[in-house]
Amino acid sequence: MVFVKMREDVGPAPEALQRAMGEEMGAAFAAGSMIDAGGLGASAQSTEIRLAGGEVMTTNGPWTEAVEVAGGYSILEARSREEAVEGARRVIELHKEHWPGWEGSVEVRPIRGGPDS
Amino acid sequence: MTADAQAAVTAAWRHESARLIGALTRMTGEVGLAEDLAQDALVAALSQWPREGIPSNPAAWLMAVAKRRAIDRFRRDAVARREAESMAGELREDTRPADLTAAVDHIEDDVLRLMFLTCDPVLSPESRAALTLRLVDGLTTTEIANGFLAREKTMGQRISRAKTTLAQARAAFEVPQGQEREARLADVMAVIYLIFNEGYAATTGDHWMRPELCLEALRLARLLAKLVPDEPEAHGLQALLEIQASRMRARRDADGEAVLIEQQDRRRWDWLLIRRGLAALDRAEATGRAVGPYVLQAAIAACHARARRAEDTDWVRIAELYDVVAEAYPSPVVEANRAVAHGRAHGPDAGLRILDAVAGDPALAGTSLPGAVRGDLLAAKGDRAGAATAFAEAAALSRATRRSVGCCCAARRKIRETM
Repeated sequence: MVFVKMREDVGPAPEALQRAMGEEMGAAFAAGSMIDAGGLGASAQSTEIRLAGGEVMTTNGPWTEAVEVAGGYSILEARSREEAVEGARRVIELHKEHWPGWEGSVEVRPIRGGPDS
Repeated sequence: MTADAQAAVTAAWRHESARLIGALTRMTGEVGLAEDLAQDALVAALSQWPREGIPSNPAAWLMAVAKRRAIDRFRRDAVARREAESMAGELREDTRPADLTAAVDHIEDDVLRLMFLTCDPVLSPESRAALTLRLVDGLTTTEIANGFLAREKTMGQRISRAKTTLAQARAAFEVPQGQEREARLADVMAVIYLIFNEGYAATTGDHWMRPELCLEALRLARLLAKLVPDEPEAHGLQALLEIQASRMRARRDADGEAVLIEQQDRRRWDWLLIRRGLAALDRAEATGRAVGPYVLQAAIAACHARARRAEDTDWVRIAELYDVVAEAYPSPVVEANRAVAHGRAHGPDAGLRILDAVAGDPALAGTSLPGAVRGDLLAAKGDRAGAATAFAEAAALSRATRRSVGCCCAARRKIRETM
């Protein structure tokens, strides 16, 4: 599973990036390596339910104090950790190319139950 | 170089290998040479990327290297040829293909052509499967040998013989038209299905199921469906494999024993794959074109997949679908499956009537299938003694003929699952 984490106050992605991401994701779906993907709404639409000190607290977004929030995810089916990392690396390369100044990260983690977990 | 760096480079290369080999085959006209050039590019990447980092456009980098190597080889060959020819007192024009500098276009066409080539009917089904995994999926010979539980050397020979056969037969790197296209598409789908079943049924070896092979077949099916989106059967094959693969975790219990579909823990099914399978089936039906065996099997598998609990299974619909299958592709095995479906949908007697009509068929004689189905139907009827006798008969035949531990299970699985 790949999580995309980014600052929220950067505005919409440039069209060139959206196009490039569309192509890259289309190719990954075609190759059978990407099996699901989705973008997440703003943290203003987020609700957190937290258990701490025996108390359940519900808080609504936005998370103004958070520097980076999860912006999207994808589920990859990779033969190896390296293949999953390569798929994720491409996403960052596209951001570097098409959205100067964008900062954020992608995090790749295995879903338990797969061969490498 | 660390193993990590090597694995990262190989992963990036594999990401491009089908398109790379496809484009190079188009340019050089020879798939064996194309593969060598792609391997040359991998070797170059292994020596440069760990030092310099993976380039931002690995595809372009690899293609540039491969093309340079291609030109080197043609020059070398040309020199050798000129030397040979001058000895014969004769000089001819350099005859290398002119297309070498052509840009990489029609990439999808290249990959489709490559699939058509590796599934050329001049090759045996096993060789088609091995070559497809090698050239389209970019697997190593070791990985393919492991998948098929073959010795690496044997698999290497099979692959290299397959390439020689293609070269000798002058197999064309093209998408044929009309009826030939239909026939070749069917061949490609059969190869993908064979690879999947090799993993799913795992008729040999200790592993009852080899998920890696199933996943490779699933990738190929997804790829094919994208390449020929107008073909309902390609979507049907994808749907069938997605849905069958969704049950991989539930098909064995903790002791490694087979679990039949009605007893499977459906929480262990992969509902994401089911969703993808059902969507692929929708796409097949949306083409509005006549469907074939894969769509029908997928439709049956979908009836199971849509049921959150075994008792919610729409057996009436499954029985109807089996009627269509039996009409279009009549066979005693289909009848045995149809008997189970009708038994569930319309009562055991309905199933037994269908079974009785084919039980004596030579194609079923000596197999455990009729006994297993009869036992199942009699058990549903409450005839315990009759069921026990039938199952014992099936088990005896299964023991007598079995090639592996999974055989009897496989026979029963066949009955309960799709086909």
